[in-house]
Amino acid sequence: MTYHDRTGTAIHPGARLYAREVQEGKLSRREFLVRSTALGVSASAAYGLIGLNAPVAAQETPVSGGTLRMAMETRGQKDPRTWDWSELANFGRGWLEYLVEYNADGSLRGMLLESWEANDDATQYTLKVRPGVTWNNGDAFTSADVAHNITRWCDSTVEGNSMAARMGTLVDPDTGVARDGAIEIVDDMTVVLTLTEPDITIIVGMADYPAAVVHQSYDDTDPTLNPIGTGPYLPEQNDVGIRQVLVRNEDHTWWGTEVYGGPYLDRIVYIDYGTDPAAVLAGAESGEIDATYQTTGDFVDIFNGLGWVQSEAVTASTVCIRFNQDSEPYTDVRVRNAIQLAVDNNVVLELGYNDLGVVAENHHVCPIHPEYAELPPLEVDPAAAEAALDEAGHGDTEFELISVDDAWQSSSCDAVAAQMRDAGMTVRRTVLPGSTFWNDWTKYPFSATEWNMRPLGVQVLNLAYRSGVAWNETAFANAEFDALLSQANSIADADERRVIMADIQRIMQDEGVVIQPYWRSLYRHTTANVHGAEKHPTFEHHHYKWWMDA
Amino acid sequence: MLRFLLTRTMTMVFTAFCLTIIVFFLTNLAPNLEKIAKSEAGSRISDAEVESWLARNGYGDPMIHRYGQWLGVVPGWVIEEEDRIRGRCIRPGMAPEDAPTFCGILQGDWGRSTVFRQDVSQVIARGLNLTAILMFWVMVVMVPGALLVGVLAGMREGSRTDRTLSTVSIVMTATPEYVSGVVFITVFASSAVGLRWFNGSATSAMDQITFVNFTLPVLTIALYGLGYIARMTRASMTEVMTAQYIRTARLKGVSFPTIVTRHALRNALIAPFTVIMLQFPWLLNGVVIVETLFNYKGFGWTLVEAAGNNDIELLLGVSVVSVFVVLVTQLISDIGYVFLNPRIRIS
Repeated sequence: MTYHDRTGTAIHPGARLYAREVQEGKLSRREFLVRSTALGVSASAAYGLIGLNAPVAAQETPVSGGTLRMAMETRGQKDPRTWDWSELANFGRGWLEYLVEYNADGSLRGMLLESWEANDDATQYTLKVRPGVTWNNGDAFTSADVAHNITRWCDSTVEGNSMAARMGTLVDPDTGVARDGAIEIVDDMTVVLTLTEPDITIIVGMADYPAAVVHQSYDDTDPTLNPIGTGPYLPEQNDVGIRQVLVRNEDHTWWGTEVYGGPYLDRIVYIDYGTDPAAVLAGAESGEIDATYQTTGDFVDIFNGLGWVQSEAVTASTVCIRFNQDSEPYTDVRVRNAIQLAVDNNVVLELGYNDLGVVAENHHVCPIHPEYAELPPLEVDPAAAEAALDEAGHGDTEFELISVDDAWQSSSCDAVAAQMRDAGMTVRRTVLPGSTFWNDWTKYPFSATEWNMRPLGVQVLNLAYRSGVAWNETAFANAEFDALLSQANSIADADERRVIMADIQRIMQDEGVVIQPYWRSLYRHTTANVHGAEKHPTFEHHHYKWWMDA
Repeated sequence: MLRFLLTRTMTMVFTAFCLTIIVFFLTNLAPNLEKIAKSEAGSRISDAEVESWLARNGYGDPMIHRYGQWLGVVPGWVIEEEDRIRGRCIRPGMAPEDAPTFCGILQGDWGRSTVFRQDVSQVIARGLNLTAILMFWVMVVMVPGALLVGVLAGMREGSRTDRTLSTVSIVMTATPEYVSGVVFITVFASSAVGLRWFNGSATSAMDQITFVNFTLPVLTIALYGLGYIARMTRASMTEVMTAQYIRTARLKGVSFPTIVTRHALRNALIAPFTVIMLQFPWLLNGVVIVETLFNYKGFGWTLVEAAGNNDIELLLGVSVVSVFVVLVTQLISDIGYVFLNPRIRIS
C-alpha cells in the first residue's frame, strides 16, 4: 500500500517506519506527529498513517472583531534572532511570521513554507515556499527571502544569536557563518538545505520563537520601527514596560485567511503588570484584562474561583536549579552530587509547584520525549549527603541559592534550600527582583533557570549542556557527553536513540549538572468570551486563531 | 528678593551637578555597564561579546569624557562601521551628516533611555504627567482633610474630639504605604474579602480616571500624609489657642467660631504650610511604592525601572528633575512663608 499526502507526493519512508513503531507501541503519538511532520508529511496524512482522523478544533463559528487584552511583560524589542524571551516574539508575531508552526498537539504545519521533504538519511531538506504570500509592503515572498533568513540565522558572529545553534549543521565552524552551498535556491519557490550530518531537529528549530522571518531590507535594529512583515497585524503602540498594541492591517491581504482562516480580532493589547502575579490578579479583578499570559502556582485555583476559563498545556517545561561548575564550591562533583542527594524532587514539586506537574529526574529529558530512557529512581539520603559533603571538605560551607522573585521559581528554590538545611547544610536564600536578576543571572554560582519545552529530548540538551554553547549557564563541559549527543542527533529512530540517551541521561545525573525537580503543566485563564487562545506548550501566541464573543 | 532667587537657582544648579556626577559614576561602574550590554544584546552573551558591544556603543571612552558628552561640552561619540556610521547624536532614521556634534543636556538633549527605547525627555514627561495627576488628587484629598482634622482637634486641647482625632491621625501616620496599600487592596478590591468596591490596579487610570480605579492609590498616599499634617496643624492650633490675643477676644465676648476662623486660623496655618510644601519631595518618593503596587506607570515607577536596569541617561534625567522639584517647592515654601508671616523678611 502506498500512501500519498494531499499534494499527491509520495510519503517519506521514514514516516511509515514511525507509523509502524506507533502500532507496535514503541513510539508515542505526539512523537510520531512531530517526527513525521518534520519529514514533510502533512499533519492530516500523518494522522491517517496511524489510522486516525485529524482532530477538528473549532466547534463554534468564530466571530470577527473585538479587542483582546492580555497581561504580558512588554520588553524592548531587538533583532529577532537574538530574542531571548517568548514575550518579544509574541509581540513580533503580529507582523513577523514563521516558516513552520508547532502546534499544541505536537505536530508541525507549514506557514510560509507550504511543505518540506527530507531525504532518507535526513541530510538534505527540500523546502517548498508557499505560493501567494506577500509582504505588507507589496513585495512577493519567494525562496530568496527564505534563503536570506536561514543565512541570517546561521551567522554565529552576531552577539546573542541563538538561532546559529539551531542551524548548527549548516554553519561553517571556521567562519561562523553559513557554509558555501549549504543553502541553495533552486527556483523561485524551492530551497534545498544540505547538512553536514543527519539532523532531525532543523525543521522544528525553524518553529522556535527567534526564527521570525524578516524582510531583506531589515537592518537588525528595533523591528517595530519599520514593521515590514507577512503577518496580518501591525504594531500600533510599543511602550516598553507599559503596553504593546497590535492592530489588524487592513491594507494587507494575509495569505492565511484562505488557508487556515482568521484573523478575527481587530486589536490585541498586551498590558505589562511586572513579575508579580498578584498584580495580574488585581488587573483581572479590576476588569482590565481578558486573559492571563500564564497562571502559576496558587493562582490557578484563585482564577478558577473567579470563574475564569482554565486552559492547560502539558509540557516538558521545567525549572533547573543549576550549579555553575566554574564557580567554587561547585567545581567539585562531590558537592554537586551531595546537594542532589539531599533533595527529594517530590517535595519540591509539592511545595514549589502545588503538584501541578510530574516529578523529574535531574537529567532534563522528559517522559513525553520520544527518546526518554527510563533510569533507576533517584536516591534521597540526607545523612549520606552530609557525609559526602564533609568528605569533600565543604561541611561548613555556606551555599547561596539565588532566584528571581517569581512566585513558583522562588518557592521551588525555598523547598530545595529547606531540604538542604534539613540535611545539615548552611544555606542562604537570596531573592532578587526580575529587573536585577536577569542582568546577571548567568553568573550566579547556584541559581534557578526556567526552561521552556522543546519537542525533542535532544534539543534542550544541545542548547543548554553542550560545551561552550551560548545558553550553557551550568558551564558543563564534558567531551563524552558532547560526542554521545552528536551521535544521538543523527539517529532518527527513537529506539536506537534511546540506547545512547540512557548514557547521556546517566552522565547528566552522575556529573550532578542540575537539580531538575519536575515538569510543569502550563495554565492560562481567560474570560468566558475568549476563544482559541488556549495555552500553548511553548508559549506561542497564534493571534490569527484568537476570537471573542461580543 | 532677586538676589535670593539667584542664590537659590545657583544652589539648584550646583546640587544637580554634584548629584549627576555621583549618579554617573555609580551607574558607570564596570558591572553596571555589563548589565546594560546584557539587557541590550541578550542575557546570555559571553564576556568577550560584552566587551565588544560596549566598545561599539560608545561606552569605551573614559568616564569623565562620557560625562562631558552627556553635559554637551564634549562632542558625542561617532563610530564608523563597514556599512554605516553610528553615533551618540545620530538618532534612528537620521542621516549621519545631519547630526549635531554636541548633544548633551546643555543643548537640551536629555539622551536616550536604554530600557524604554525612547528619548529620556519623553519618558520623563510621560511619568511626570501621570504622577502630577496622582499628586493633584492626593493634595485635593490630603490638604483640606488634614487641616480640618488638625483644626478640629486643636481647637479644644484635651477634649474628647481631640483625643479621638489625634489617635486616628497617629495610626494613619504610623502605617506606611506598603502596609496600607496591601490592606486596602485585600479589603476593598479582592474577592478574598468580597467587597470589590474599587480596583486593586490603577493601570486603566492611565487612560481614564474613574472613582473606582483611582480611589485606592490616592487614599494610600493621602492618608499617610494626612495624619502627619493633621498632627502638625493640631500642635500649631493648640499653641495659638493659648495665646493672649485669643484670651482677650474671648473676654471681649467674641463667639468661639469667629475666634477660630478670624483670629486663630491664619496664624495656625503658618507651620502646616511649610509641612505641606515639604510633602512634595516626600511624595515623589512615596509614589515609588504606590505606583509599583498599583501598577501605575508614573515617575516613581519610571525611577524603579531605570534603577533596576541601570538606565544611565534616564537615571541622570530623573535626578535632575528630582533636584528641581525639591528645590523649587522649597523656594515656593520660603516665599509663601513671607506672605503668611509678615515678621519674616527675605533679604
